Amino acid sequence: MQPRIRTAALTVILLTPLVASAPTDWRSLNSAQAAPSYTYQGTVRAVNARTGSLELITGVGMSLRVVRMTTAPTTRLIAAGATSRFADLKPGDVVRAECRRTAAGLVADRVEKLAVGTP
Amino acid sequence: MTRPRGAAVLLLLLAGGGGCQKPVKPGDPLPGLSRAERDRFDHGKVVFDSVFTPETGLGPLFNATGCGECHENPAGGRGDEVEVHATAFHAPVCDPLAQEGGPVIQQHTTPALKQALGIDQEPFPPSATARAMRTSPVIFGRGLLDLVPDSVLLAYADPDDRNHDGVKGRPNRFVDGRIGRFGRKAFVPTLREFNAGAFAAEMSVTNPAQPTEEDVGGKPLPAGVDPAPDPEINQEQLDLTDDFVRFLAPPTPLKLGKEGRRGRDLFSHIGCASCHIPTLRTGYSPLPALNNREFAAYTDLLLHDMGADLADICLGRATPADFRTEPLLDLRGAEHFLHDGRATTPEQAIELHGGEGSGARDRFKALSAADRAALVAFLKSL
Repeated sequence: MQPRIRTAALTVILLTPLVASAPTDWRSLNSAQAAPSYTYQGTVRAVNARTGSLELITGVGMSLRVVRMTTAPTTRLIAAGATSRFADLKPGDVVRAECRRTAAGLVADRVEKLAVGTP
Repeated sequence: MTRPRGAAVLLLLLAGGGGCQKPVKPGDPLPGLSRAERDRFDHGKVVFDSVFTPETGLGPLFNATGCGECHENPAGGRGDEVEVHATAFHAPVCDPLAQEGGPVIQQHTTPALKQALGIDQEPFPPSATARAMRTSPVIFGRGLLDLVPDSVLLAYADPDDRNHDGVKGRPNRFVDGRIGRFGRKAFVPTLREFNAGAFAAEMSVTNPAQPTEEDVGGKPLPAGVDPAPDPEINQEQLDLTDDFVRFLAPPTPLKLGKEGRRGRDLFSHIGCASCHIPTLRTGYSPLPALNNREFAAYTDLLLHDMGADLADICLGRATPADFRTEPLLDLRGAEHFLHDGRATTPEQAIELHGGEGSGARDRFKALSAADRAALVAFLKSL
């Protein structure tokens, strides 16, 4: 192998694990700078229309987490394709929330109540 | 006649070859994997059998130091560990208590967390309305179960018991509304998510699918107790582990004798097969070993009310009494039965069926001793 090719190959071999194991935060940080919005789909754990707080249960498999966000006066709640009131949202509802991160935490811009099939 | 005779001999040889296919033993990969898939199975087993330490990602809260600690017997199958789950049921809403560390309550802590907080295990959630004990499930054949289309599950569902057989069946839903199928309450939609969630919930090993560490009862982790940077395993390690589990084959049932065949008939006749559907078929997969495969499953992957005596926690839309029909795979290797291992024989497990299972249970109890023995002989062939 030519010395230059060998050097290039060694560089690739040494750098690949670093890139492959890069923390997700690092990758999401970069994508967050380009588009600072997040979408969460989960079950409402708690909602307070008066204070504008909303807690969703999300997660993967049996590993669940609570995502906390606030709503603003401009936040839209959609249910069955129509605008609805946050007072109608209740624990157990499944929603998709489009949020952005601010200095004060996650703020929801749009919350859509999803119709989950029965059974 | 030479050519037809030659063709007939060839057909017989081919048929015989199929009939003599090597039986699949517990821990074997699915037949028909490509060389590359077999390599991933082997490499995935290495990750699966890894033992994690705090420096490589374990904890600070955990149930086990590696997948193989609970799924060790044999070669990635079942284990004898029992873990603790907790949720709060305020009908009709189930709170999995994620804000208090639920639903999986880890039973061990790393030395650093013990030193910082003085605890040996995760505190039991104060808001819990119930506690559940869970044995380690068998993980054979899960790649096949993963690929049974949702439409098949929905076709077996009968939530209003329209056929009046006393058996209903309905799918559970994950927190985001998708149909679930994995776990004793059929809560988790896909095998990939179940595996990624298990790394985080059982070992607190963060990964690209669950990159955030669990806190302790809703309080942030003390500084310095989690030395490994997140995620603690990378995508390739997660994918390899997933492939190992996905490619673990269901063991070939033992050949049935006269008694076992009688038992198999009785299994259907008394109604066990209403929920323990004997065979399911996978949908499309780009992998030939998993694509459109009929396999012995003995489950409908649906929730059934099993009665007050077995009831423990809620999860998703499963009430405390609802449990998913357990797939009867590698039953002959089992030493404990039911979700919490409370039964030590198949007969006990059947007799503990309540709710929607009570009809089949009563018909089992009404069988003659010889017929009960035949049915158990069939179960022990699986």
